[in-house]
Amino acid sequence: MNRKDIKGRFHRTLPKQPSLLNSRTMWGLLFVAAVIWSLHESGLFERDLVNVGGWTLVMRFLIAATRPELDVEFLQLTLEATLQTLAYGVCGTAFSLIFGLVGGILSSEVWWQSISLVKFPTPWLVVRFFLAIPRAIHELIWGLFFINIFGLDPLVAVLAIAIPFGAITAKVFSEILDETPRQPLMALLNSGVSPLNAFVYSLIPQSFPNLLSYAFYRFECSIRSAAVLGIIGAGGLGYQILLSLQSLRYEEMWTFLIALVLLSGSTDFWSAMLRRSIGAPSRLDLNLHLSKPKSTLQNTQTLAIHLLQGDRLVKVSLFAAIGLLIFSFWYVNADFTKLSSPQTFDLLIGVIQDSFPPDITKFYQLFTLSAQTLAMSILAIAIAGIGGILLSFPAANNLLLPEDNSHSLWGITVLVFTRFLLLFTRAIPAPIWALIFLFVLFPGILPGAIALAIHNLGILGRLMAEVIENLDQRPLRSLQALGATNSQIFLYGILPRTLSRFVAYILYRWEVCIRATVIVGLVGAGGLGRLLTEQLSSFDYKGLVSTLICFICLTFLVDLISATVRRSLR
Amino acid sequence: MKNFLLSGLLLLLLPLAACSPSTSETSTQSKTEIKPLVTGAIPDQDPQKLQRQYTKLAAYLEKQLGVPVEYKPVTDYAAAVTAFKVGDLDLVWFGGLTGVQAQLQVPGAEAIAQRDIDQKFHSVFIANKNSGLTQFKTINDLQQLRGYTFTFGSESSTSGRLMPQYFLQQAGIKLDEFKGEVGFSGDHDKTIKLVEAGTYNAGAVNEKVWLQRVKSKEVDLNKVQVIWRSPSYYDYHWVINPQVKQRYGDDFVQKVQTAFLKLDPKVPEQKEILDLLQADKFISTKNSNYTQIEAVGRQIGKIK
Repeated sequence: MNRKDIKGRFHRTLPKQPSLLNSRTMWGLLFVAAVIWSLHESGLFERDLVNVGGWTLVMRFLIAATRPELDVEFLQLTLEATLQTLAYGVCGTAFSLIFGLVGGILSSEVWWQSISLVKFPTPWLVVRFFLAIPRAIHELIWGLFFINIFGLDPLVAVLAIAIPFGAITAKVFSEILDETPRQPLMALLNSGVSPLNAFVYSLIPQSFPNLLSYAFYRFECSIRSAAVLGIIGAGGLGYQILLSLQSLRYEEMWTFLIALVLLSGSTDFWSAMLRRSIGAPSRLDLNLHLSKPKSTLQNTQTLAIHLLQGDRLVKVSLFAAIGLLIFSFWYVNADFTKLSSPQTFDLLIGVIQDSFPPDITKFYQLFTLSAQTLAMSILAIAIAGIGGILLSFPAANNLLLPEDNSHSLWGITVLVFTRFLLLFTRAIPAPIWALIFLFVLFPGILPGAIALAIHNLGILGRLMAEVIENLDQRPLRSLQALGATNSQIFLYGILPRTLSRFVAYILYRWEVCIRATVIVGLVGAGGLGRLLTEQLSSFDYKGLVSTLICFICLTFLVDLISATVRRSLR
Repeated sequence: MKNFLLSGLLLLLLPLAACSPSTSETSTQSKTEIKPLVTGAIPDQDPQKLQRQYTKLAAYLEKQLGVPVEYKPVTDYAAAVTAFKVGDLDLVWFGGLTGVQAQLQVPGAEAIAQRDIDQKFHSVFIANKNSGLTQFKTINDLQQLRGYTFTFGSESSTSGRLMPQYFLQQAGIKLDEFKGEVGFSGDHDKTIKLVEAGTYNAGAVNEKVWLQRVKSKEVDLNKVQVIWRSPSYYDYHWVINPQVKQRYGDDFVQKVQTAFLKLDPKVPEQKEILDLLQADKFISTKNSNYTQIEAVGRQIGKIK
C-alpha cells in the first residue's frame, strides 16, 4: 500500500473539514461591510448626531408614563379612537383578503398550468410583475395618493391598507398554493373537471389552514398599519398620538399608547390561539422547504376534525370575525360611491397629468438619498436582527427545557417581561418612535434607523420566539440527558437549528424595512422620505414620481438580494 | 368544506350589502337638506386650540349665512390644500404660501378676507437663553446663527419657514451652515417648546402666536427670548372655493366676505371670536396681494 492510497482512504474515512470560504461566510462578511458602510453614511464618524438639548423633553416624556391621563371623558375619546383603528384594520384586511385570494390564484403557477397545461405560461409572469409594484409602495404613500382623489374620506385608509396588503397576500397565497401537493388537483383535472371547480374542491381546502393562518397574520399587520395611517390624518389612535405628541401632552399620549398596545396585544393573542388550535402554529412560514407538504395535509385533517367536533375557539372566532366585520363596515362608514364617481375619475386624470413626465433633473440628489435610505434600512435591520435574536430566547416559553426551569417565579417574570417589551416595541408605529428620537438626535438617517429598528425588533423577536417554541424538543432532551449544560444545549442544540430560519426572517423584515424607510422620513428622519415630504408640501408631483421610482428600484434591489441570500442559505 | 367556504364567502359579502342602503339613504337625505359649508384651517398651532376657535366661528357663520357650517380638522398643511382642491373644504384659513398653492390649484379660488395684522405680518426668531445668542440689530446679524442648531415650523409655513428661509438667504446663510440638520418642528407651538427646552438653540415662529403665548404666560421668558423681528409681508387669509357659487348662489362669496368684515369687537360674542383668532377686525383682501409670496415660493422651490 503506497502513501497515496493511505491518503485517499484517510480522506474517505474522516469527514472533510468544510472550507471557511463558503457562501455563508461570504454573505456574513458582506453584511459586516454593509453595516460599516451604513454607519459611515449615517455620519456617525464625522457629524454631530446627538442633540443633548433634547434630554429634558425625553425625561418629561418618560415621567409622564407614570401618570397617564385617565379622565372619563378622555377615556371615551380613547375608546372611540381605538375602535376606529380597529375598524380600519378589519375593513382593510377584508378587502386585502379578497384581492389576495383572487390575485393569489391568478399569480400562482399551478393555476396557469392547470388551465393551459404549458410549463411556463406568460400570463403568470405578467400578473406577478403587476403585483410587485403595489407591493413596493408603502401604505402611507398609497394613503397620500388616495387623499388626492378621494379627499378626506375613511375610504382612503381602507384602500391604502387593502391595495398593498392585497398584493402581499396574493404573493404569499400563490406561494402556498404552488407548494400544496397537486395529486388531488391533477386527478380532478384529468377527469374533466373545470379548473375553477377543481381548485375549489382540491387545492383551496387543502391549503386552507395555511391561508387562514396567514390571513390572521395580515390582520395583525393591518392593525399596526391602521395606526400608522392615522398620521396622515385618517383618524384613530395614530392620529391622536401624533396630535398629543405635537402638543407635547405626554400624559394623554401615554393613554393612547397603552390603548394601542392593548389593541395590538389582544389581536396577536387571539390570532396565536386560533393558529394553535388549527395546527398552524407559525405566524409566517417562510418556505424553507422543510417537511411542508406533509404538514399541510395533516393540518387540513386537524382542521376538518376541529370543525367537525366543533372546536369552540375556531367556531367562536369565525362568528366573532363576522360580527367584527359588520361592525367595522358600519363604524368606518366609508363612501364607496366615490369609487365610481366621475369626480374621482377627473381628479385621477389630473394627478396623472401633473405627474408626467417625471422630473429627473435632480438625479445626483436622488442617488445620494437612495444610498442613505439603503443605509438606514441596513442599520435598522442589523440592530433589529441582533436584538431580536437576543430577546427571542427569553421570550420563548419552552426555553431550556421548561419542565424544571420556567415554572420558577424568576423564569415566568423574565418571560412575561420580555414578551411585554416585544409587544410594546412592535405596537408603537415606527414614525412615533422616530418623533421621540428626534428630540435627542438631529434629523438624519440615524433617528430613522433606530425607530425602524425598535419597531422591527418587536416583530422579529416574536417571530423568532415562535421558531424556538416550535422546535422539536427531543434532541434537546437527549442532550440534557447526556449531561449537557444549559449553555451547551443552547450552542449545540438550539442555535444550529434556528439560525437559518432567523436569518430568513431577518431578510424578510429587511424587505419590509426598506419600504418603511419612507414613513420615518415623512416625520423628519432622513433619506428619500424626507425629500418626499418636501415634494408633497410643494405639490411637486413630477419630482414625486421620480422619487417613487427610486423607491421602487431600491425595493426590488433589496428583494433580489434577500432572495439570493435566502436561496444560498438553504 | 365547500358549504363552509360558500357560507363564509356569502357572510363576507353580507356587510357590503348591509352598507349600501345606508349610504344611499344619507345621500338622498343630503339632497333634500342643504349641504353644509365646510370650513377648515391649516394646523399651525396646537390642534386643540384650533378646534375651539373654529367651532365658535362656524356657529357665527351659520347664523349669518343661513346655511349649515361645519369645521373639519386637518393634520398637515399640504393636506389642507389637497382637501381644498378635491372639494372637501369650501372655506379655508390658509397661510400665505398654502393660500397661493391653493389659488394656483383651484382656478377661480378667491382670497376674500384677512385680519388687519395679516397685511403687515412678521416672523420672530427666538433663541434659548443658554445658547448665548443675543438681540440682532440688522438682517446681516442673522449670520451669527452659523454653527447653532435651528428649527423651522412646518415645511409649508409662511411665517415659520418660507419667509425666515428667505431672510436667511438674504443674509447669506445656507441651511447646511447650521449645526446638525435644520429641523421642521411641525407647528409654531412646537417650535417654541423645542427652543424653550433647548432641543434647538434657535427657531423661527409666527409673531402673533409668540405674542399670544407670552401674554397667556405659556412661555418661560427666563429660557427663551426674541432675537430678531423680520420685515413685514402678507400672510394669512381666507380662501373660498368657487364651487360654493353653484351650491348657494352667485352672491354667496360676497355674503361670506361681508360676514367676516361685519365681525364687531363691540359685540361680546363676536369679540370672543376675534380674540380667539387674534384679530381686532377683518379686512378684505385679494389674490394679487400675494405676488411677493408667490415669487419667494418659486425661488425657494415651494411652488413649481
